[in-house]
Amino acid sequence: MVQPIISARNIKKHFDVSGGILKAVDGISFDIYPGETLGLVGESGCGKSTAGRTIIRLYEPTEGELYFNGKNIYELPRHEMQEVRRDFQMIFQDPYASLNPRMTVEEIVAEPLDIHKVYRNQKEKHEKVIELLELVGLNEEHANRFPHEFSGGQRQRVGIARALALNPKFIVCDEPISALDVSIQAQVVNLLEDLQKRLGLTYLFIAHDLSMVRYISDRVGVMYLGHMMELAKSEELYDNPIHPYTKALLSSIPIPDPEIQRSRKRIMLEGDVPSPINPKECCRFVERCPYAVGRCHETTPEFREITEGHSVACHRADEIVAGTAKPTK
Amino acid sequence: MEKVLEVKDLAVSFKTFFGEVEAVRKISFDVGKKETVAIVGESGCGKSVTANSIMQLLPMPPAFYKGGQILFNGEDIVTKTEKEMQKIRGNKISMVFQDPMTSLNPTMRIGKQIVEGLIKHQHLSREEAQKKAIEMLELVAVPQPEKRAKQFPHEFSGGMRQRVMIALAMVSNPQLLIADEPTTALDVTVQAQILELMKALQDKLDMSIILITHDLGIVADMSDKVIVMYAGQILEQGLTDEIFKNPKHPYTRKLLASVPRLDMDRNESLHSIEGTPPDLYIPPKGCSFYDRCDKAMKICKDNMPEAENFSKTHYSCCWLNHPMAKDVAEGREA
Repeated sequence: MVQPIISARNIKKHFDVSGGILKAVDGISFDIYPGETLGLVGESGCGKSTAGRTIIRLYEPTEGELYFNGKNIYELPRHEMQEVRRDFQMIFQDPYASLNPRMTVEEIVAEPLDIHKVYRNQKEKHEKVIELLELVGLNEEHANRFPHEFSGGQRQRVGIARALALNPKFIVCDEPISALDVSIQAQVVNLLEDLQKRLGLTYLFIAHDLSMVRYISDRVGVMYLGHMMELAKSEELYDNPIHPYTKALLSSIPIPDPEIQRSRKRIMLEGDVPSPINPKECCRFVERCPYAVGRCHETTPEFREITEGHSVACHRADEIVAGTAKPTK
Repeated sequence: MEKVLEVKDLAVSFKTFFGEVEAVRKISFDVGKKETVAIVGESGCGKSVTANSIMQLLPMPPAFYKGGQILFNGEDIVTKTEKEMQKIRGNKISMVFQDPMTSLNPTMRIGKQIVEGLIKHQHLSREEAQKKAIEMLELVAVPQPEKRAKQFPHEFSGGMRQRVMIALAMVSNPQLLIADEPTTALDVTVQAQILELMKALQDKLDMSIILITHDLGIVADMSDKVIVMYAGQILEQGLTDEIFKNPKHPYTRKLLASVPRLDMDRNESLHSIEGTPPDLYIPPKGCSFYDRCDKAMKICKDNMPEAENFSKTHYSCCWLNHPMAKDVAEGREA
């Protein structure tokens, strides 16, 4: 069997804020296998970006273990961590804020090479930068320009070139396309897929656009208030969602087809996502869940495998699968 | 159908340091009573400028009307003075903006912000206005309206703030609501709530809606008619079914093919549109989509295509519609 490249075990990231403890990520576990794309979706404030950053140790975790090629990277001392960091990279959401406006594209892309002292002479480094720019569909001409001379889509390409500079194995893509126009989004997504095939990359793809995540991911995890609610193969999750939250989330995405859209029935959720500060120790979705019963208010449901490769954190998952669950609201 | 708004050959430009930006270039469309018209397009295509020029909210200068008319109930808005406009704006035509965080006054209680509008526009006494404000919050389904009216915007979530914005827009029973990306800043489950709310209010108040969005899913869900804008022009216009089932312009087709759908096969590839929209400092002489179109012909470069009608409601501006162009419809010939 293939060994996972990343194994996250019970990862927690809490922040001390005035008014209590903000539990941004509260015990999530999953595996990512080499060459696959794991999608992470959820509404704003669900902890998906914090999860992405904690996994590559940009944030120090509050608790948990993260195995990368069998090594727990959370226990590594600083200098060893720096070695491992080469294998992890990140592509950020905002291509305007993530590039230093006072550096040329060449300096931006070469920065990781400088930090890790990969090349001894300027010429070799310059050649590597040009190679990277060509890899993402830019060319030598662009190397001496500044970020403001580029459109959003091109800037995101620069960000991708920088992420690829150290030949990483694993890339966290944190909403890489949500700041881009529809027609440009497809360009960037196609580029990411193409690079994955050519370079054998593994992605954690974080987004709130569920249709795009379904398109790009092999497996998809759904988060809500710091907890993983459901995780399954992409087709399985979208065809047979089990968790009431996933169901509602999927039904609220409008499909660009007027005929289908007219005949669809929306599951309307009431209210908003509650505050993640000092959450009650029970099912996080209980207040908005149409299926909530007594025990949902008392204990946190275990995240368990219901059918092969399909895990859900819901007390009533078995009833829902069997079709015997009745809504309580 | 009775027409509430008619836009005729509207052209709006901005004078800047580098020259004139032709943001909207001769567009025409109309909005019927109780109709929802969606304007779609990429950023910079002129959709928000169109909306803001209907409301006369563009800063002038640098913006100026270059030509055309905007007829609201038969009267031209373009020639109205600011004083006359104040009677229409926020009264007969209201607007909901994209970002509910920045369009409310953060230092003023929610109730007071609504009361202010009521006193100003409807000349109610303060007491009547306060009662009406609570009714408005109830109308947009804000729970515990009496308590909520005394709170400040920061005490509201994004979805609740957008409800308040809609309540503000509704106080005067407008004939026309312009919603500029009303749900872009919201999460999908909250977006669903807001869209349902807008539909319900439209039924209740017999109002027309101009919906500006880039989300084709929302368009399919909400609109009766669709306007596809690109580089300041309308490339295609038609009933929602016509646009989605039988798109005629290559840009519309590509736009529809570039978004992944929840119900599509994962092995289908996404069609990206290469390149970027043209620079509107020097708008292209011919078809504005020429550079990015894979079906472009020689004629497209220098000659602007005329609108070709496919039905009473559906037209597109593309040389491929020309009867002589049939045999080159596949493949590039330039």
